[in-house]
Amino acid sequence: MKYEKRDRVLSFIAGLIIFIILMFPLYWMIVTALKTQVEIFEVPTPLWPRKLTLKPFLDQFAESSTTLQGFKNSFIISVSSALIATILAIPAAYGLARFQFHSKKLLILFFLMTQMLPSTLILTPLYIMFSKAKLLNSFIAPILADATLGIPFSVIILRTYFLSVPKELDEAARIDGCSPMQSFFRVMMPLAKPGVIVAAVFSFVYAWGDLIYGITFITDPNKRPITSNIYNYVQQYQTIWNSTMAFGIIAIFPVVLIFIFMQKYIVSGLTNGAVKA
Amino acid sequence: MDHKKKLSSAGKMGLLFSLPAVIYMLVFVGYPTISNFILSFKNVDVFNFARSADQQFVGIANYRELFSDPNSVMLKSVGNTLLFTVCSIFFQFIIGFILALLFSKRFPASSFFRGASMISWLLPVTVAGLLFKFIFASSGGIANQMLMSLHLIKKPVDWLLNGNTAMVAIIVANIWIGIPFNMMLLITGLTTVPADIYESAKIDGAGKLQTLFYITIPVIKPAIMSVLTLGFVYTFKVFDLVWVMTKGGPINATELVSTYAYKLSFEEFEFSKGAASANILFLILFIVGLFYIRLINQEEEVM
Repeated sequence: MKYEKRDRVLSFIAGLIIFIILMFPLYWMIVTALKTQVEIFEVPTPLWPRKLTLKPFLDQFAESSTTLQGFKNSFIISVSSALIATILAIPAAYGLARFQFHSKKLLILFFLMTQMLPSTLILTPLYIMFSKAKLLNSFIAPILADATLGIPFSVIILRTYFLSVPKELDEAARIDGCSPMQSFFRVMMPLAKPGVIVAAVFSFVYAWGDLIYGITFITDPNKRPITSNIYNYVQQYQTIWNSTMAFGIIAIFPVVLIFIFMQKYIVSGLTNGAVKA
Repeated sequence: MDHKKKLSSAGKMGLLFSLPAVIYMLVFVGYPTISNFILSFKNVDVFNFARSADQQFVGIANYRELFSDPNSVMLKSVGNTLLFTVCSIFFQFIIGFILALLFSKRFPASSFFRGASMISWLLPVTVAGLLFKFIFASSGGIANQMLMSLHLIKKPVDWLLNGNTAMVAIIVANIWIGIPFNMMLLITGLTTVPADIYESAKIDGAGKLQTLFYITIPVIKPAIMSVLTLGFVYTFKVFDLVWVMTKGGPINATELVSTYAYKLSFEEFEFSKGAASANILFLILFIVGLFYIRLINQEEEVM
């Protein structure tokens, strides 16, 4: 018994040390955003701000700054693309979970393969396609492209949710006179709600984190998503690290919120989406 | 008779439900994939981009040109990508595995530590890349300061300005991003090991290392294989991180196939050559992808 207690204490200490090491880069981002430039380049640089300053953050919210515009652009792009991805993935996942047909396996493989494709592969053709359709420099281009990141993941993850709902519930609804559509909306959908949330959240996070589509399809500074904005900001203000880090904190804000309030869903998404497939 | 009819109508329903998503992916992924393939055998660049009449098929000329140059950046970037991927996966996996073993135990704050460390995987890679660019900065970077206070280096290293050290920096950043992914999947794998196996091993007098190598690892082998192949696929196509940290530099030292393809298409506007090098990336991933799919099929059959 005593042995076990010592084991737990040692495990706790090891866990704490690992936690500190893994979290250090994030701590460093926050601390840097609160330091003055002078302190940042001091040798050795202090591990916490001696002269706390909010100026880097205030600069990002200044009228001349495009940070908030970028945030808004990213929000529009990510929400739209998550909506497209989720709305298309729900019926597809249901169809692939509940019905038997001979091309079913092929379709599941198709989604698995598309999930693994590199964005660079389809980037040039998409660019040509969007340029012909006069969609460059509009939100539509990154929205359409970002949805392709969310759809395969969402189909795969939602299928496992639909598979876990007992078939009998579906059948009972049919016997009670529901059409396939009605039983889908009234019985299956409410039960698969956690899966729908995971799918939507991941599609949003994928789109929010996208850089390559954003920098390629949108060159108008007022329409850039926030990732492309911060990338261009650094090109321009190379070593103004406190402002860059403040910008970074603003850019990760929605993701951190999602992380804090939906951790349970994210963990299930990560494990179900990758292993089970 | 009735049964057969029912089946085919059910099949139609299933297909009907999946069709919208399938069509969407065919239009925005399937078609571009094929058109990228065709593009790589043409001579499209910035001059004839808008005039399809001037675009011609040139066979494998683009591929030959990419590889034939004695100082071929293409070859270098394939090598770099392999190095980047293998090093990243090796460390991510080892660290992820150790953390999985630790955090699958029950101790105070265990699930909090485990949960919180997930954040690095969720962050936009662009921001993570900038953060590590700052950490490895020549002046003001904390990496130098820490290594100097530990007396591991004598004077500040220009991490991102030297080829070899730049590679180290992007690998370290990528490991940080990838640890949670490895850890979580392996923890899920560990929960499938029945507790009574451990107990009987203990009764039989097996040591901790013996239990690890003869029981834990063989039992969770499917999870390990998934983690490694998926990790390979996701690491091999990394773009954002390297683009933000080094842009493939200095002098192509951290050029990956993905960043090289991007440069060819969108900095040099050699669309066909960009397409060709993206195809090389695809080809390698395709082979690994097939391996992964065979793996899941085996798992499903076992289940």
